[in-house]
Amino acid sequence: MWAAAAGVTGIALLATACGSSDSGSGEPAADGDEQITLTIGTFNEFGYEELIPEYESLNPNIKIEHKKAATADEARANINTRLAAGSGLSDIEAVEVDWLPELLQYPDKFTDLTSDEVEGRWLDWKSAQATDPEGRLLGYGTDIGPEAIAYRADLLEAAGLPSDRESVAALFGGDDATWDKFFEVGKQYTAATGKPFYDSAGAIYQGMINQVEAAYEDPDTLEITAADSAEVKDIFTTVLNASTQDKLSAGFAQWSDDWQSAFQNDGFAVMLAPGWMLGVIEGNAEGVTGWDIADVFPGGGGNWGGAFLTVPTQTEHPEEAKALAAWLTAPEQQIKAFKSKGTFPSQVEALSSQDLLGQTNAFFNNAPTGEILANRAAAVTVTPFKGPNYFAVNDAMGSALTRVDVEKTDDIDTSWTKFVEAVKALG
Amino acid sequence: MVTSTTPKLDRRPSRSQDREPRRLGFGQRLGRWDVKLSPYLYISPFFILFAIVGMFPLLYTAWVSMHQWHLIGGQGEFVGMENFLHVLQQPPFWKALRNTFSIFLLSSVPQVLLAITIAAVLDANLRAKTFWRMGVLLPFVVAPVAVSLIFGKLFADQSGLINAVLGGIGIEPIRWHADVLASHVAISSMVNFRWIGYNTLIFLAAMQAVPRELYEAAILDGAGRLRQFFSVTVPMLRPTIIFVVVTSTIGGLQIFDEPRLFDQFGLGGGDRQWMTVTMYLYEIGWGSQKSFGRAAAVAWILFIIILVIGLINFSITRRIASDSAPKSRKKQKR
Amino acid sequence: MSAPSIPVIQQTAGRGAARAAASRRKSKGAGSDRRPGWVTYAILTLVILISAYPLYFAFLLATSDSGTIAQNPVPSLIPRGEFFTNVERVLSADIHFWKALWNSVIVSTVTAVSVVFFSTLAGYSFAKLRFKGRGPLLVFVVATTAVPTQLGIVPLFIVMSELGWTGKLIAVIVPGMVTAFGVFWMTQYLEGALPYELIEAARVDGASMIRTFWHVALPAARPAAAMLGLFSFVGSWTNFFWPFIVLGPSNPTLPVAVQLLQATYFKDMSLIMAGVTLSVIPLVIVFIFAGRQLVAGIMQGAVKG
Repeated sequence: MWAAAAGVTGIALLATACGSSDSGSGEPAADGDEQITLTIGTFNEFGYEELIPEYESLNPNIKIEHKKAATADEARANINTRLAAGSGLSDIEAVEVDWLPELLQYPDKFTDLTSDEVEGRWLDWKSAQATDPEGRLLGYGTDIGPEAIAYRADLLEAAGLPSDRESVAALFGGDDATWDKFFEVGKQYTAATGKPFYDSAGAIYQGMINQVEAAYEDPDTLEITAADSAEVKDIFTTVLNASTQDKLSAGFAQWSDDWQSAFQNDGFAVMLAPGWMLGVIEGNAEGVTGWDIADVFPGGGGNWGGAFLTVPTQTEHPEEAKALAAWLTAPEQQIKAFKSKGTFPSQVEALSSQDLLGQTNAFFNNAPTGEILANRAAAVTVTPFKGPNYFAVNDAMGSALTRVDVEKTDDIDTSWTKFVEAVKALG
Repeated sequence: MVTSTTPKLDRRPSRSQDREPRRLGFGQRLGRWDVKLSPYLYISPFFILFAIVGMFPLLYTAWVSMHQWHLIGGQGEFVGMENFLHVLQQPPFWKALRNTFSIFLLSSVPQVLLAITIAAVLDANLRAKTFWRMGVLLPFVVAPVAVSLIFGKLFADQSGLINAVLGGIGIEPIRWHADVLASHVAISSMVNFRWIGYNTLIFLAAMQAVPRELYEAAILDGAGRLRQFFSVTVPMLRPTIIFVVVTSTIGGLQIFDEPRLFDQFGLGGGDRQWMTVTMYLYEIGWGSQKSFGRAAAVAWILFIIILVIGLINFSITRRIASDSAPKSRKKQKR
Repeated sequence: MSAPSIPVIQQTAGRGAARAAASRRKSKGAGSDRRPGWVTYAILTLVILISAYPLYFAFLLATSDSGTIAQNPVPSLIPRGEFFTNVERVLSADIHFWKALWNSVIVSTVTAVSVVFFSTLAGYSFAKLRFKGRGPLLVFVVATTAVPTQLGIVPLFIVMSELGWTGKLIAVIVPGMVTAFGVFWMTQYLEGALPYELIEAARVDGASMIRTFWHVALPAARPAAAMLGLFSFVGSWTNFFWPFIVLGPSNPTLPVAVQLLQATYFKDMSLIMAGVTLSVIPLVIVFIFAGRQLVAGIMQGAVKG
């Protein structure tokens, strides 16, 4: 691939470069006659494998080195270490929404990406997540994770429940779907089959907490409020009661080996599924038939995950890096990324593109995934506030849920007490 | 490490020191400088390298540990010992220390015992020696990352091989992740899997160096196989045992890769039941608090703990090494 | 310098070897050297089965597909047919496999050779030479191994970026070029294995210090050096965290590359295990070819002792 890319660059170089000199900096850097290598650090799947050579052939003076980390955690460790050491970051670093707030605490480490060209490109709540209190835009949105409900039609049918897309959406309450309704359906399913309904309490909790405006921290003072929040405790208790007392949860930690295996063994019937989860289900459930996806989500819309491209101030080529990040996050490119890896675009224009809306997914019974996810994105009304301690509190919460749902070493009360202690230790 | 196993050739440096200068009379002036400087020159690569990649990080860490220091935000106020006091008051720190020692004991004790036993079995006039020796060392070539992936599949609570096998013979599945002791056993088994063969070869090398005369003497005294093993082999191995214990103490107390990769979160379990001290260090430094200052304090506390235990072991090594030398000489005379 | 010294050394060394050989011959008839019975072989076979099974398990998964793996916690002992398909997927994945392999070979080889050389040099000095501060310095060496590596990462990264080495193999090689373990190991070994007579004989013949080291200490250290070399080679071959941080995923070593096989939303076990198997195969080949020498080296150590 590098050889090919180099070849393309070489040929393009010969055929006179088309310079796009930005912002009239006067520096020859952007004039296209100087060779520049940009590095971009991503993780998991961004769907950029084919876009990068395309950009290189459009911009013959730019060579791009793509550094991919295996997991978001590794990418985070890498970025933090290099930020601490003060050097070594890529010209563009991808950042996941959950730990973006930690980095936004240090806005001077990142280039302000505000520009007229990208004004209004993203859904409002998406660009709000990457905007610091002084109004600077520090990250360009890539994808979002609008959530729908993925389900096993065959298992629902066996439990005597409706199984086609529309009826399932209606079963959960359609546009007025609520979590109570969701759990109620779960109880019906479990009563009929004796089997767990969904995969993990942690996943359901994520769905619910991402609909709370300010779950863990006070948006004004940034004080951690999670331990005293009645709302958080209520969600925690509700999810765990449904999961353990009503036995709706299969009790897996998501991403564990057991969880992966359960896809092959009819371990559960329903999952909350943001766009990027579809590829996960398809891979894990290879050879399993019956998966489908319903255009519904309890409690209004919900978003799970999504990422941004940032340009650290360590870079020597801020203008070029900014231009590349802007190009990669433009609607056309993000639609291509969606088609290749299922990362759902966060750009307003992309959401109404026929190209996107026409997407179907054969594995999910030919569901119109483009349309469903676009509807789900439109249904998102709440932008949860995630401050600098969000990631840490959420980790502590994850452990608290694991203790009850997966490891079964604690009951709801003792686990909550431990959570409160862990959160106190953060301060 | 085979100090005591070569009684005839073993000279304490002090003894030969009397002799060396006398011999030096033959050398020239240049030779004198050669003799004086060479020892320092020979050890200098280690110290130069250590100064750059070891000492600097250590001092830097010490400096960091006495400040409020955010991983990204950088240096804050000077706080003296506050970070240390804070860490020592945290229950998770003590839990991590408990886990570390527990995993360390569960891995090092069986490791040393099994390694000695296997080495003793290998220390026979076997056919196809190379095959057996290399076979034992095989697991050592597998990277810890890969070992964790493989053992993750073996120890998975519901879909794992071990519980499937246990279920097959009618034993309740073991809760490898939820149970404190079971999780420590699982993690230790990954450590043991990689390191038993390695230590076996170290012991084997030392056993091979035990003078055969000692066994002959023991046989003449009417000692059986087992008796020979305990009254000849084991005493002769003492310095090696302590060498292995010192090195595995230092490595074992810093254990990180295996427990971190034992589940997909890398935090040490819902109740931190298998979080080790280095994981705790990593968590407060890189994870939840990003407090580089407190992480540095944890590193220094761990460093001091290891140092104390290591130095105790080391002084025992030296004492036993010098004790056992005359003892073995006596035996030999017999 | 003075050429005649070498034969003398060889003579002395020869005498030592002859003495050892004699003692071995003598002990030939003793009970401990009889061919062992089947129980010994049975125990060893069990040990080898236990140590080989997890590796074979990885191979079995590498010959399978993800669906089958998830359905069967206990894989059938007979490999399935997907191995080459999976290997092809590893090689065609965007993880720079061949570059990673080559990087690992270079890093591990240079590290192993350099650890052996510098550790023997330092170990010889600590074990056999007289100099001021010897004891405390040796204690210091051992103490340095107690520095927890996780925390050294940020300052070490600062050093590397000051030197302009980040992203380059040298950043992985240099920190491992001489280890405290190696120095300690060689000191312990040479203290016992290298007779003062040999050093003195060489010195009497007017050999310089470094010549004495080269012709006397280095040969005597060979058995321990073989072990240390192997341990260092494997150690740097399997190292993950530091190469990951300092090299990054575009110029990886093997473990970093193999880890990248997980960089998909869906963790495909058959693919990952094929990567694991591929990363182990080169070392197994080294074992098969170098094993005899290594074991011979260890045996030789026994003879010398």
